[in-house]
Amino acid sequence: MSNIKLSHMSHWKTVPYKQIDNFRDYYYEDKSNICYYQDWDRILRYHKAAGYDGIEIAPWDLNEILGLFGTPGEFTAFAKDHGIEVSGMFHGCDDSQIPEKYDEVLQAGKDAIDTLHAFGGKHLNVCPARNYYGVGPLGDEDLKNSAKVINEIGRYAVDHGIQIGLHNEFFCAVNKENHRKFLEMTDPRYVFYCLDTAQIALLGDDLLNFYDTYAERICTFHLKDTASHGEPDETRHGQDVEICDDGWRWFWEPGEGVLPLKELWELVKKHGFKGWCTVEDDGAPDYLAAMCLSSYYVKQVLGKIYE
Amino acid sequence: MEACFSTETVDLNHQMPNRNQRESKYYWDELYQLIAAAGFTSVEVPYEPKWDFGGRSGIPRTLRSVTVKYGTMQKYMEEIRKNGIEKISSVHLDPSLFCQGNLKMYLGAFGHFGEEAIKFAKGAGAETIVLTASPSIYSVRKLMEGSSHGEEEFLSQTARVIDSLAEMAGEEGLKLCLKNEYWGLLRGEAVLQFLKQCRKEIYLDIDTAHLKIAGTDPAKFIAANKEKIGIVHLTDTGFTDDQEAYLQPLPEYPAKTAAKVFCDIGKGSVDLPAVLAALENAGYDKTVIYNCKDSNDVYRSLLRTRCYIQNKLSE
Repeated sequence: MSNIKLSHMSHWKTVPYKQIDNFRDYYYEDKSNICYYQDWDRILRYHKAAGYDGIEIAPWDLNEILGLFGTPGEFTAFAKDHGIEVSGMFHGCDDSQIPEKYDEVLQAGKDAIDTLHAFGGKHLNVCPARNYYGVGPLGDEDLKNSAKVINEIGRYAVDHGIQIGLHNEFFCAVNKENHRKFLEMTDPRYVFYCLDTAQIALLGDDLLNFYDTYAERICTFHLKDTASHGEPDETRHGQDVEICDDGWRWFWEPGEGVLPLKELWELVKKHGFKGWCTVEDDGAPDYLAAMCLSSYYVKQVLGKIYE
Repeated sequence: MEACFSTETVDLNHQMPNRNQRESKYYWDELYQLIAAAGFTSVEVPYEPKWDFGGRSGIPRTLRSVTVKYGTMQKYMEEIRKNGIEKISSVHLDPSLFCQGNLKMYLGAFGHFGEEAIKFAKGAGAETIVLTASPSIYSVRKLMEGSSHGEEEFLSQTARVIDSLAEMAGEEGLKLCLKNEYWGLLRGEAVLQFLKQCRKEIYLDIDTAHLKIAGTDPAKFIAANKEKIGIVHLTDTGFTDDQEAYLQPLPEYPAKTAAKVFCDIGKGSVDLPAVLAALENAGYDKTVIYNCKDSNDVYRSLLRTRCYIQNKLSE
């Protein structure tokens, strides 16, 4: 039995079909590879074939998923037929630093937990506040307000068998200056941390030190690599920096960047982590290839250290 | 008639290899050059606020995007002219993204982003603003669940929003046209009755593939409504809706038998020469927009369109 359960974050854009039964005829309409990327049936098959046991769903896909499947339970059952579980979902806790929005933010968080619960997922990865641009810098009072509502969302999550994991992106309002402080302001009984390996490096923090320090809080991983490190303020605080004008990629498949992932895995072994580790291939031009590359690295390279 | 190419050909919504390029500015800068190289010097822009919410301002489809990346509409237009595109002829807003929650929220968003789209069109020097008048029947029915006069109420309140936007468009010197997709409440000839509900001067967007799939002959429709034609989209399809796709949650992707509904110009069964002849007979001499909607291969679609025009149509 593996300690690491491998999941894949669904960055596939809208998948328009549940299942394509006329696959061969559909192929001949265009004689291209597009038909390989248009139904959940095949995409879930790719997950299993590439060695994944889970999928992390994205809230921006829910309308289409529910249109195709009717209910979260139907999607979960369909995925289960393919040997895949829903491991988690992302949720943006927008405006969590604004006290007047407490009730609204709390309700949105509870709604997201209810949705994830209906999908059978375990991890709600939450991004506090919004992006740095237009919001930052956050003062201590802002952080306190944000921690207050996120603690309450976390309490509701734990009551429903779900863990919320803070997820800091390198362009978010909770940033290099205060992300450790913010983590420490939240209640460890209710609020955990989703360690996104590339984001933490792009912030300019030390991946190994961060994990070693906060291993007890880390409930899950977003595993990805990067060829960048410690981006300057003008980048992290800039507007719409996630997608670069010139096509520069912030993120690469594990093993294709420069992060000390083998050293990280030694620490993962040391702390005996058990749970979902979600590969995120955002920005990859070919998700199927990226899924395979990533799975190979986790199982065949990191797996020699700890699996 | 002036030939224009729609950048709605670029599908941003669905998964396919190399789709990620389309969120970066460099992709669009080059695309404009390639559109010009294929002989088109005017484009249509689909106004898509969806990308604002994720900070995807590399996609030049909203006022926000253009402001973030270029500063002003004027500077944006200067940049695309450098890349060979002389004008943006038309801007199309489909408000279906907002068809959730409740009717008040939907109409509020439609009005707000409709005004933005008009400002974008004005700033671009466009002649026409096209509005999708009805989201899919499936979406409207979901939105109006529990209302005893659901569709009727939806259309009557939509007409008021469109009237208001038509007034603004008129003040900005723009012609407001309605697109009636085959999956909407106003599919086929139903749009004609809706026009009578509107109090302002509103025109038709003749979209040939949508009309054909809805069972309306585009050439006959043109002949019968020539005074109301505001803009023309030449779109092609080989799809026959024998599975009531128009009622399904994702009607462009028919669930029972998968099909690529919209195809490249000349690859379907729309009689485009007959459509152009009907337009000529109707005295229409303005813009025709070639749209290979949601293409699987943008560059091939672009060249196939030019190839078809050169070989099969006389401009």
